[in-house]
Amino acid sequence: MSPKDPLLDIQNLSTFFHTEENIVRSVRNVDLEIYPGETVALVGESGCGKSVTALSTMRLVPIPPGKFENGRILFKGKDLLQLPEPEMQKIRGNEIAMIFQEPMTSLNPIFTIGDQITEAICLHQDKSKEDARGLALEVLQKVAMPSPEERIDQYPHELSGGMKQRVMIAMSIVCGPSLLIADEPTTALDATIQAQILDLLDELRKETQMSILLITHNLGIVAQYADRVAVMYSGKIVEQASAEKIFSSPSHPYTKGLLNSLPKDTISEKLETIPGAVPHPAFLPEGCAFHPRCPEKMDICAQEIPELKPLENDSEEHKTACWLFNEVS
Amino acid sequence: MKKILKAESLKKYFPVYGGLLSRVIGQVKAVDDVSFDIKEGEILGLVGESGCGKTTVGRMTLRLLEPTSGKVFFEDTNILSLKGKDLAMIRPKMQIIFQDPFSSLNPRFTVERIIGEAISVHGLAQGNDLRKKIETLMEKVGLSKMYLKRFPHEFSGGQRQRIGIARALALNPKYIVCDEPVSALDVSIQAQIINLLQSLQKEDNLSLMFISHDLNVVKHLSQRTAVMYLGKIVEMAPTELLNRNAAHPYTQALLASKPSLDPTNRKRPKPLQGDVPSPLNPPSGCHFHPRCPKVENRCKTEIPHQIELEDGHTVYCHLYDE
Repeated sequence: MSPKDPLLDIQNLSTFFHTEENIVRSVRNVDLEIYPGETVALVGESGCGKSVTALSTMRLVPIPPGKFENGRILFKGKDLLQLPEPEMQKIRGNEIAMIFQEPMTSLNPIFTIGDQITEAICLHQDKSKEDARGLALEVLQKVAMPSPEERIDQYPHELSGGMKQRVMIAMSIVCGPSLLIADEPTTALDATIQAQILDLLDELRKETQMSILLITHNLGIVAQYADRVAVMYSGKIVEQASAEKIFSSPSHPYTKGLLNSLPKDTISEKLETIPGAVPHPAFLPEGCAFHPRCPEKMDICAQEIPELKPLENDSEEHKTACWLFNEVS
Repeated sequence: MKKILKAESLKKYFPVYGGLLSRVIGQVKAVDDVSFDIKEGEILGLVGESGCGKTTVGRMTLRLLEPTSGKVFFEDTNILSLKGKDLAMIRPKMQIIFQDPFSSLNPRFTVERIIGEAISVHGLAQGNDLRKKIETLMEKVGLSKMYLKRFPHEFSGGQRQRIGIARALALNPKYIVCDEPVSALDVSIQAQIINLLQSLQKEDNLSLMFISHDLNVVKHLSQRTAVMYLGKIVEMAPTELLNRNAAHPYTQALLASKPSLDPTNRKRPKPLQGDVPSPLNPPSGCHFHPRCPKVENRCKTEIPHQIELEDGHTVYCHLYDE
């Protein structure tokens, strides 16, 4: 594998949930590449399909009601969706690891954190209990856990939120994954702790050359930590570009709206808003899902779904799914 | 300007039970000696991390929680000394908007009943008048009156928060505590609700206490900001001054931890180390000293008192103690 090949290549992925009443189209024809050593941010509002994209990659979507409708998820050239479950188990937690939003509920309350980290080691590596414990201690030091020798024998309830998230990170990196999926890793944490955790993830990425898929709704985090950004709306990626491009020259009206609706540095000015609300994923509007809220909608927007295409006079890097830029093909 | 609310050395200690006989074994000093005031037509921002006591302060100013000690004056009346009818008379003037629009609306009530309940309880309107009043309120917060007979589960988070706001406005209050009203909402919806609050506040000359952990939102909305840490206010100043010239090391760290929206500027200061200590067993002296980058010896033993730096800018920190 040359460094030019993507580590993870999601191609045309659709994940739907078939409920008794209707079909929830959570992820619709998503294409996303992640290259070795980079941080890609997946941004969007609640219910836009960011987490389902991540869970699909880990094959943690409950099936049924979930179903992979079409597409491939290539990881180091292998299609994860075709792998038999035992093969997938070797990858999950070992080569692709995930940390979740709520460190409070993601740890098992009746085992010590040492037990939980060594479990991950023993599952994937041929190590004795003692060696595994040594490794667990090492990794706790690596995530800057205060007094790790004592903490290793403590239970999750004895730790603060920030420390629990450190344990989650320790568990996820202990097997040296090449891809780390971080699903809103700091949303449940306080502002000062958030900066600690994100800096830690960034240091670990630089040190181990792993890639990070950072799922967040916080645009400040995106600006500070991501190399590339994919903006999702109602199950589709609507814009994809480098972090600099997204913030300096956003093209999709939704991306623009999101950036404009943030409070600025000036006091008491009226905020710009996106009118209306996100559509329910089971009842998506025809055409571009954003058109009912779009300030620049045209007739075609209500009829056909725009494809994610590179902007004309730009490099391949900046792609948008919007009829404003899409008509010439 | 007239002061609408004045809090004097408010304290709230929660007892901690434990041991064999469930005796009181300690106290959580959720709010420890907090004083501030809110002027008529002013928005006071109250920021701090989780567990610092900001919600407790907000609830005590409404007497939804009884303070352990201290005084709360609402328009020169000490509301803590009021009882029965007098208290019921003053309650309509003070309202609250809650953080979670999912759990703060009764799922079995229609929008009409949720908004109208307080009006009929206080006997302010009935029948057609009541219906008219509810419709005006819904219009005011941007809800179609078609939704009168709907139930909360039929609405999105943003719409539910609008219902919560309409309910708070129903009795024409003068003072509203907004307890993280936009934290549970998406960015694009957040902006809608912030704009709504801002325009309502101007229209009716309301006084708001805006509780939030989001410094950007507070900066956008409030005229003055108070920063809390472990049950105490550590700094209070006009918002613009606080952002430009923060004095307390904690405020400085909070401001620095706010990620910049400029991807070309990634020079991040080193984040504050350590965790927020437990309020059950707060550090001696200045509660912030174990994490403070500028800690001195006396910070560990002496509790800092209020120091006025310039007009309206107060800080509790030994650094400024001459």
